[in-house]
Amino acid sequence: MTKAAAGSALSTALASIDDTVARLSHLSRRSYQNPYTALSEWPETVRPDEEWFSSPEYVSLYGTRMWDELDEPARRRLAFQEAANFYSLNIHGEKSLMRGLAARLYRPDLLGVADYLHHFLDEENKHSIYFGQFCRKYARIYRSRQIAGTETRPQHVEDLLFFAKTLIFEEIVDYYNRVQARDGRLHPVARFINHNHHYEEARHLVFGRRLLAVLWEVCTAELTAEQVDDVRDYLSQFFVMTWREFYNPDVYAEVNLPEPWELAETAWTTPYQRDLRRRVSAGCVKFLISTGILSEEPHDAY
Amino acid sequence: MRTEAETRAVLRDWVLKKASGLDPEQLADSTALFEQRYLRSVHLPELLLLLERLRGAPIEVEHLNLDNFGSLDAMVRFVCVPESAP
Repeated sequence: MTKAAAGSALSTALASIDDTVARLSHLSRRSYQNPYTALSEWPETVRPDEEWFSSPEYVSLYGTRMWDELDEPARRRLAFQEAANFYSLNIHGEKSLMRGLAARLYRPDLLGVADYLHHFLDEENKHSIYFGQFCRKYARIYRSRQIAGTETRPQHVEDLLFFAKTLIFEEIVDYYNRVQARDGRLHPVARFINHNHHYEEARHLVFGRRLLAVLWEVCTAELTAEQVDDVRDYLSQFFVMTWREFYNPDVYAEVNLPEPWELAETAWTTPYQRDLRRRVSAGCVKFLISTGILSEEPHDAY
Repeated sequence: MRTEAETRAVLRDWVLKKASGLDPEQLADSTALFEQRYLRSVHLPELLLLLERLRGAPIEVEHLNLDNFGSLDAMVRFVCVPESAP
């Protein structure tokens, strides 16, 4: 199939999600936000030794011997830096996402979703304002270890991978957001950031699932068995890549824990953490398997 | 501190676990892992964490390119010869 024919097939297939796109656009317009209003109410300083900024059961060292050995203030300091790492991951993820969305905005075969892509972009930018403000005001922005690749693929495969990666990242993050928004132990700013992100991401997840099913349908008509395996390998490793960044040695070094890289490896292989990653990923994995995008769980991620 | 041989063995095991379709007999120290698409950009964050762990020091991502760890030889050099790293 030529690029033009593939584009035409995509335009036609996208018509099946017109109603969803219109409804999500309406909801986005109804809850349009000015992030600077909320930011003006944030305290000047916070007390990382005394307040929780991440749910302890979701801290990357929970379930390890190191966690057992830390006293309560040290656990809170770690949970605070993990909140900053979590927000930093979101900042880096949203930068890539905004680049990808902007590149697809008003592409002729994606015109059917252009209105919603505007909302998507706008909302991601606002989320990054919250995350960036927290990190700069109270902590730091942790670096990413991601490096842009040089691989090239046909456009329909690039689209599929882009929106699949977006969905995987957002579903994992959203699980943390939902838990932490409801956790009454957390500082109000942490609960606000998690609640607000979840509130908006819920729309993105609906859009992502519907769009991805359409893209897969268009793609499978074109892909060889070898290319399908390649997509599945890539996305399975994307789960690993995404999860690995939750176990950041830079965070452990920041709170003066010894041998931060060994600690990251120990935490990664700790049974409690493996089970947590499986549990958090389950909804997204189930969706990807149900559509046929994945054929099995991403075992290396657990 | 690992020896160069131990470092190479750890990296070789990792590459074989990650590189789909690569038999152990095919993997030479000079095999171009990214050029031949045995590894891809999606492997890099995990590889960087491993290289940092083997070096015991952080790696500045901004100054990196794939040549720095395009083969087992390059990775071992990167870990064992600190001045070769950015």
